[in-house]
Amino acid sequence: MSPPLLEAQSWAQIGAVIRLELKKTFLSQRGLWVYLLALAPAAIYLIHAIDTMRDLETRRTLNAAHPVATETLRSIHNGMSPEEVVAVAGQPYSQTSFSRRAFRLTTYLYTDGESNYAFLFRNGELVRINEQDRCNLPKDAAIFATVFQFFYLRLAVFFGCAGIFMNLFRAEMLDKSLHFYLLAPLKREALLIGKYLAGLTAAVATFVTGTALQIAALSWHFEPGAVSEYLRGPGLSQIAAYLGVTALACAGYGSVFLAAGLLFRNPIVPAAGVLLWEGANPVLPAALKKISVIFYLQALCPVVAAPEQGLSLFERLLISSAEPPPAWLSVLGLLALTAAVLVFAAARARRLEINYGAE
Amino acid sequence: MSHQVTFDNVSRFYGEVLGVNRITLSIPPGITSLVGPNGSGKTTLMNLMAGLVRPSRGEVRVLGISPGEPEKLGRVLGYSTQFDSFPKGLTGYQFVHAFLRLFGFTQERCANLANEAIARVRMTEAADRNVAGYSKGMRQRIKLAAAIAHQPQVLALDEPLNGLDPLVRAETIALFREWAREGRHVIVSSHVLHEVDQISDQVVLLSNGYVVAEGQIQGVRGEIQDHPLQVWIRSRRPSALASKLFELDHVVEARLSPDRTGVLVKTRDADRFYRALNAIALDGIDVEGVMPVDDNVNSLYEYLIGGGEAAR
Repeated sequence: MSPPLLEAQSWAQIGAVIRLELKKTFLSQRGLWVYLLALAPAAIYLIHAIDTMRDLETRRTLNAAHPVATETLRSIHNGMSPEEVVAVAGQPYSQTSFSRRAFRLTTYLYTDGESNYAFLFRNGELVRINEQDRCNLPKDAAIFATVFQFFYLRLAVFFGCAGIFMNLFRAEMLDKSLHFYLLAPLKREALLIGKYLAGLTAAVATFVTGTALQIAALSWHFEPGAVSEYLRGPGLSQIAAYLGVTALACAGYGSVFLAAGLLFRNPIVPAAGVLLWEGANPVLPAALKKISVIFYLQALCPVVAAPEQGLSLFERLLISSAEPPPAWLSVLGLLALTAAVLVFAAARARRLEINYGAE
Repeated sequence: MSHQVTFDNVSRFYGEVLGVNRITLSIPPGITSLVGPNGSGKTTLMNLMAGLVRPSRGEVRVLGISPGEPEKLGRVLGYSTQFDSFPKGLTGYQFVHAFLRLFGFTQERCANLANEAIARVRMTEAADRNVAGYSKGMRQRIKLAAAIAHQPQVLALDEPLNGLDPLVRAETIALFREWAREGRHVIVSSHVLHEVDQISDQVVLLSNGYVVAEGQIQGVRGEIQDHPLQVWIRSRRPSALASKLFELDHVVEARLSPDRTGVLVKTRDADRFYRALNAIALDGIDVEGVMPVDDNVNSLYEYLIGGGEAAR
């Protein structure tokens, strides 16, 4: 048999493994929690969008009943009396008062239909103005960046990949059905690649869809004009970066958890170990940082996550990644790390034995 | 290419526990039975042959192929394991078909081979039912179908007759003979010497991980016939079955189980007993399963091999 035919046959076998595994991964009840994990942030953003739209509707209704222009509200300054404010802006749509022995606090609420304004008077003198903006895209993009990096990547994708990839071998050992694969004329490396690609397909489909839905839900309540403007600016490249980072996270964590599933009987132990290692990344020496998935992923995220701004040195030390590598190096580094872990897993798979009694 | 399945000084230990020790064997084409009581090393030998476990020492070759090359071994070896578990959610046909897809065959070839194998084990009617709903005998047969579907040169079958009713048992044995006549290796494990001595060209007796005897079984058959065989038969009409069995002169005891789900029988002639049981089943008395009982086999082994100690 000529080598090209062998090669083609191996790929056909890998294709067969992928089809079998996809059926199990996508349709398994065991995987339902992974979908929940992937879709939960999108659901929260959707609720936020619905709430924001209802809030905007309320502000516009209030503004229609108590019409006042933005410029008028912005002309009000500290030191004015309640009467002067009413003379300029008319009656507030809501007014509250609070009295104590030495002082009396009064709050006037106005809206221009977009933002809320609260004027706080102390003993008849305006002492504070709070302007509550309506959500805007840059602000929401910063919130998204934080949720993406600190919840979605580090927890949802991490544990989702643990659930998907560790089960590729482990679940079949527990079900006592792995021997069917090992009895087929299939190189163990081909089996490993087939299972990895099936897991990757499932993970990417689930989590990249999750990311896309989050972005869609987040931008749903904005005016089409604002969205177009965002997309014409940094929007498209940011969205592409988030989707790409999600896919790379699945590839990186997937390889780690596939290898862990071959090495450990109890998946909790390696998952906790990897979580600890990834969590400790910011405080690791530079050389060790590079042996983690989050190091490369964080460098690829297009927006700096909010908690990194305005935090104490200690807090920043805990969550930030020093010396972020350039994007091309991050992608290459992550792919190299993934390949190295898969090579190690393949070597392990070659020595794999069926010993269900010990499982 | 070698035409033998060879074990060259093979040992396998599970930690401190002995699986098999210093096994040197050469198995030619034809039907070879690995016989021994539970824990004697039959399954370990088969798993070593199939590459499911690796030897701690020594070398295994199947037609010259090392089990460390699964991409070659899987094409010449079909193995029906003792594991009674299947990938979830598949019908019998899907199970055999999916296994064949792993060989890299086309969809059409897989369908043809799967249908052919399923027909050979007489499972065509049940092929579209979920494996989870199969009886033990049906699960045995669908495993056998998967093992023979790619028409391997070597067929290894771990306790393949367990749980089969007499008719299917007879058909399965006929299938083994047919495969052996085609010049293939059929290696069958059993803990019941009576069960396989009639069909085997060669028997390998195992005890406590050692080969204690191998070759033609004729020499010990006479001794076996002097030793009663004890069989458990599951039936929905145990009383009727017991009364039929009592009519047989070679049956020395037939006892109903306390829960009335079957009959425990002792016979002095295994061959005549199995033939008679087939006839009883054909007469309409429902026989759901036949299971030789271990204790008796162990005592037979002690009788045949002197407890295995002398052979080491």
